[in-house]
Amino acid sequence: MTVLTNTTAVIVTYNRSAKLMKVLDALERQSLSLDTILIVDNASTDDTQDRVEAYAKDMPVIRYLRLPENVGGAGGFHEGIKAAYMQGAHYIWVSDDDAYPEPDALQKLQEAIIEFEDSYQWRPSFACSRVEWTDGSLCEMNTPHPVWDWARFVRPGKAWALVDSCSFVSVLIPRWAVKEHGLPIADYFIWFDDAEYTRRLSRSYPGIFCPESRVTHDTPDNRGVNFGLVNDKSLWKFKYGARNETSFRRREQGFPGVVAYIYSVHQQMKKGRIPWKLRWKIFRSILRGMAFRPKIQNV
Amino acid sequence: MRTTSTLFGPIPPQSIDRLQLETSRIIDIYRLLFPSQRLNFFFYEGDNPIWGEPSIIEGEVTLAPEHLSAEFLGRVECQGAHDAAPVITIMVSVPRAPFPSEMKLQDSDWNPFKPLKALYGITPLFYEEIRYKVEMARKRRARRVHAHTSLPLGKGTSLLPQPQDPNSGKRPAILIGTHWLEVGGAEKLAIDSVRWALEAGLRVFVVAGVASLQRLATMLPDSPDVIFIRLDRYLPDHLWPRFVEQLVLTENIRLLHIHHCRVLYDALPQIRAKTPWVKVIDSTHIIEYADGGYPRISGVWSNYIDIHHVISRELVNYYRDHFQILNKVTLGRMLEGKDMRMSLPPMTMQTAQKTLYVSFIGRLYYQKRPIVLVEILRALASWAQKSNVDLRGTIVGEGPFLSAMKQLMRRYRIDDKFIMKPADCDIPELLSRSDILLVPSNNEGLALVCYEAIEHGCIPISTNVGSQSEVIPTDLLLPLSPRAAVHTSVEIIDKLWRNKDFLAYQKDALHAAWARLAADPTAKDVLMTHYRAAAGTSQE
Repeated sequence: MTVLTNTTAVIVTYNRSAKLMKVLDALERQSLSLDTILIVDNASTDDTQDRVEAYAKDMPVIRYLRLPENVGGAGGFHEGIKAAYMQGAHYIWVSDDDAYPEPDALQKLQEAIIEFEDSYQWRPSFACSRVEWTDGSLCEMNTPHPVWDWARFVRPGKAWALVDSCSFVSVLIPRWAVKEHGLPIADYFIWFDDAEYTRRLSRSYPGIFCPESRVTHDTPDNRGVNFGLVNDKSLWKFKYGARNETSFRRREQGFPGVVAYIYSVHQQMKKGRIPWKLRWKIFRSILRGMAFRPKIQNV
Repeated sequence: MRTTSTLFGPIPPQSIDRLQLETSRIIDIYRLLFPSQRLNFFFYEGDNPIWGEPSIIEGEVTLAPEHLSAEFLGRVECQGAHDAAPVITIMVSVPRAPFPSEMKLQDSDWNPFKPLKALYGITPLFYEEIRYKVEMARKRRARRVHAHTSLPLGKGTSLLPQPQDPNSGKRPAILIGTHWLEVGGAEKLAIDSVRWALEAGLRVFVVAGVASLQRLATMLPDSPDVIFIRLDRYLPDHLWPRFVEQLVLTENIRLLHIHHCRVLYDALPQIRAKTPWVKVIDSTHIIEYADGGYPRISGVWSNYIDIHHVISRELVNYYRDHFQILNKVTLGRMLEGKDMRMSLPPMTMQTAQKTLYVSFIGRLYYQKRPIVLVEILRALASWAQKSNVDLRGTIVGEGPFLSAMKQLMRRYRIDDKFIMKPADCDIPELLSRSDILLVPSNNEGLALVCYEAIEHGCIPISTNVGSQSEVIPTDLLLPLSPRAAVHTSVEIIDKLWRNKDFLAYQKDALHAAWARLAADPTAKDVLMTHYRAAAGTSQE
């Protein structure tokens, strides 16, 4: 357990300057002040840089990391967490550029992780917020995955369920976990980078879900990650997802895990009556994923 | 203090004075560094005019014949705070006085890189092109080879006691660290900083990081409030941090201003851990291709620094793009005394004029590309002959390339067209009668001479390096490649000479750029704010 609490927020952004400004407003209002806010800009072509620079004039804790090209969310989080770690952060609070935390979101996460350690002598490998959609309902795509004994430490008033994966929308990662498990896989580019990373962190000990820490995720619609929802517009993202999860399953569960994954994807697409034209493309991505073995980079 | 040595023989009084002065300076340095210890000095006569080769042993030393060598001058003991105080043994040479020739001569003549000497003999421009390509290759490797991440600074926890300002009661002081006190742009700003700090009401301590004759030390203001401590001669680098800590505590140093002083960067952990109330400012100028130079070093130390003062927008962007730093960086131009309301004289050059006067002003070092300059002059002479223009010019500057330039100009038979003058000539007069100022620089922060040229009606043409594009319009910028720079400079001058509209447009653009820069805060503006705050003389 550490008494040092130097905290860096890592926000990855791409061409959403208006939403990013709302995120910065929300970070400025945090009841627990941040030591650093690192904006990782995936080479935005809009006015992101100018607006961040202007904002930083009144907010000295902002640092701006502009990447030379768009390396996707995965690449952005990889670079951001690496930079935060190298700068000496003890806690790294990771989030998207369209997620607006409540003023006490960070404080609740940090208190939970510290109190959990103190009470149970286990160190959670991360703590994640309850992510809500704009209407206050649960944001489907950001639902954390519980472990089998998720309720072991759930107490009235402290409903900290144990989870083994969550999304990169308001997740607080302690320094030791990054040191022990390395960085998110930048080669994933987009999708499943967060699930893979938090599952990797969970090898030490699961993370905790802190429902009292709340974040609003300002997405266009509230849809989960289900292959029954693939369409022409979203195909590119699902292809990354299929490739990345296949690669993860092959690494962690071997061939049986991949077969089980193919079956579940097939079932989802069948239920969703996805045209075969799209289904074949997803299966081809799964095939690519079997040979895709990106390296995990340590700090 | 007890002296056990005796001086014998017919020794000139100035030598005696010098020895006494230097030994007392050495004693002062070590007394401050080890305030309570018993100091045991062994002095030697040095044959090096620069470096005292100090050797420090924290404890007694067992003497051997080499300790009493032919250069042995004597031994001095200084008592400690009490009889049982630990002993520090300091063995140090007193550098000899420099010869007049050493005071004057700074660098030996430049010679081309030996394996390529023959190539230089055949085609100097091709030699320059190779050198440029090698430099660009180093630049491409720089990010891989040199760290570009700020060192983390653990601020600790409030659960443990924090260092407290002892409040020595002395008037607030500043420590200004320079690279050295020899000719250079960074040193000019450092010496200006000393003046401004005095003006703000601070006592000023100056140190130089690189041992040298420190020829510009005489430029420091003659004031009892300015003290130049010769750490560069007498203190090994690894002891600087401890000395700085003691100086801060003893002399009530409130501000540390680093001007390219590497050893002071290394003292920052000591400052942050032991005397965290001291505010740290640094000033940086030029990004070196091979390793980023001082801006990179400064970026690496950024978490230990409160204010990065920079002189150009290029540097503002550099800190942002390489170290993610936005708001600790303050732009303050080196344009002290410029009045933005002053009316600029009309530019001298006219289209199709029968004479053309070109100038070059700068130190004759590789950074200013003297060989490329001669090649440009040669190409211009050829153009002038074809265009029936009487081309003349002046090259102002001194440095190791002087003789190589003279030789080359003789070889190209253009030495009768261009006069070479030393650096102390009348620059405003020269710029007033020049049509064009050539700045074929390899690297710059922002060359002030371009700014001065506009003020005197002269059109500057410069390589597009550093922040030169802030003062020079795009059409008057040269590519960095030496061969392309030569061709382009002739093309630009030809176009200015032939095309009336182009010339008029560039004149307007230069005046607009001058006004833009004049509107920016100056180095004095931004630094004085911090100096006055430290001195407690803010006018708020």
